[in-house]
Amino acid sequence: MIEMKHDCLAFSFLDVHPSAKLTVNFQRTLRIPDDDKTYPLPPGLGMFPLRHVDDYADTIPSLWLERGGVMLPMYQSEAMWLHFSPGYDSERGVSYPFALKVAAGKIDAVTGKDWSNGLHRGPQDYMVAPGQPWLDGFCVEKGIIRQFVAMPLGAGYTAEEQITGKGEFGGLQIIAYPMKRDVFERRFPIRRQDYVDSCMMDFAVARCAAPAAGGMGLAPGGKMKQEIFKDPFDFTDWDLTQSSRCFVHIANSLMWRQITKQAPPTLPPSAADYTRYKLPWFDYYDDSLNALDGSGILGSLKSVLGLAKEKRESPLPENESCEPGNVVKLAPKRVGDQVRDGTF
Amino acid sequence: MSTFGDYVRKRRMTLKETDPQYSLRKVAAAIDVEPSYLSKIERGEQPPPGAETIVALAKELGEDADVLLALAGKVSEDLQKIIRKRPQLFAQLIRGLKDLPDHAVLRLVREVRDGQW
Repeated sequence: MIEMKHDCLAFSFLDVHPSAKLTVNFQRTLRIPDDDKTYPLPPGLGMFPLRHVDDYADTIPSLWLERGGVMLPMYQSEAMWLHFSPGYDSERGVSYPFALKVAAGKIDAVTGKDWSNGLHRGPQDYMVAPGQPWLDGFCVEKGIIRQFVAMPLGAGYTAEEQITGKGEFGGLQIIAYPMKRDVFERRFPIRRQDYVDSCMMDFAVARCAAPAAGGMGLAPGGKMKQEIFKDPFDFTDWDLTQSSRCFVHIANSLMWRQITKQAPPTLPPSAADYTRYKLPWFDYYDDSLNALDGSGILGSLKSVLGLAKEKRESPLPENESCEPGNVVKLAPKRVGDQVRDGTF
Repeated sequence: MSTFGDYVRKRRMTLKETDPQYSLRKVAAAIDVEPSYLSKIERGEQPPPGAETIVALAKELGEDADVLLALAGKVSEDLQKIIRKRPQLFAQLIRGLKDLPDHAVLRLVREVRDGQW
């Protein structure tokens, strides 16, 4: 079951285990420059507001209603990242593991392949949380992603359009599978409260600080250092009989106002301005996990700026390079939330 | 004696034990009705008053307005508006919930609907 709680998607599989809960939220962030550099992780600037599409049945495109799910607003060329936070089982001192698949326009963000329900290895088309606290974009190389940047469907920039030639779906798609209960209980027996498990840490790490016209998809933006980690568990550990999935529609700011009669959040600062004020960027490492290789399909995508040059268009309002000097290094932390935030 | 009248009388008498402000006369004055009318309602000799008076009475007695309205066989105006907006959906929802235990109803949450994609 998926509920919407405080602008988060709250997945729960209480039939599997009382701790089998997972929260996913969508963070506003600055768009990193789309140039030749590889940037550290940008900050979280607050969550995008989420709304049930069913609440706006009279004003949303009929396809959105058919697909169900939720919607959020993004400005053209605005960026986002996803934050995964699995429920913590205090008796066992670990977070409940989930396998998560994320797609943009039904293109898998890890493999670049078309969406399909279920999980696959060879290549692995999902992430594991805890372990993978965030996803900022498309996995284009080992340890490198291209940032999720919102672009209008129909303009040809989205990963979906570059790969399939069509802008049919847009938005984001998410499906979560919990670990089997017996496997969880066997792998993580009840422990003393002060026992620190260095292998399975709590990754509740926060980095905060032809659809209808107006529908948006996600295109590959600038490059960023982020590893998508290999599944550290056995494939049979996942309960493939249990899953919940959600279609997250993206409305541009004008469409959002028309649908909800509310204003979308203000635009984030530019990466250059953010850096000028010496606000922090972030770097995340986890020595206990291995990174996946990048996807050849996604690696061959053109970035928004690269494609714009070919099209002789200028869809990015600014793209000034910057030199992040204040980079905060983050690592998995077991107790409490590690905050990726700046002094605003 | 009516369920509604009985409930109101018991509640008022309980309050009156510690506070004389809850006499029949004073409560009637507070909700702007005649004492004799309130007395007849409490004894079941008159049907429950209109929704507006019931809401005022609930406020005066420190009761939940929805509870008193339900005892009087009425539904508050805001709930009526909600139901009128999507009558089939809410009729189906309420009928579907009627046999569930309280804890299950209280845990009722709004699931994000998955569709065809």
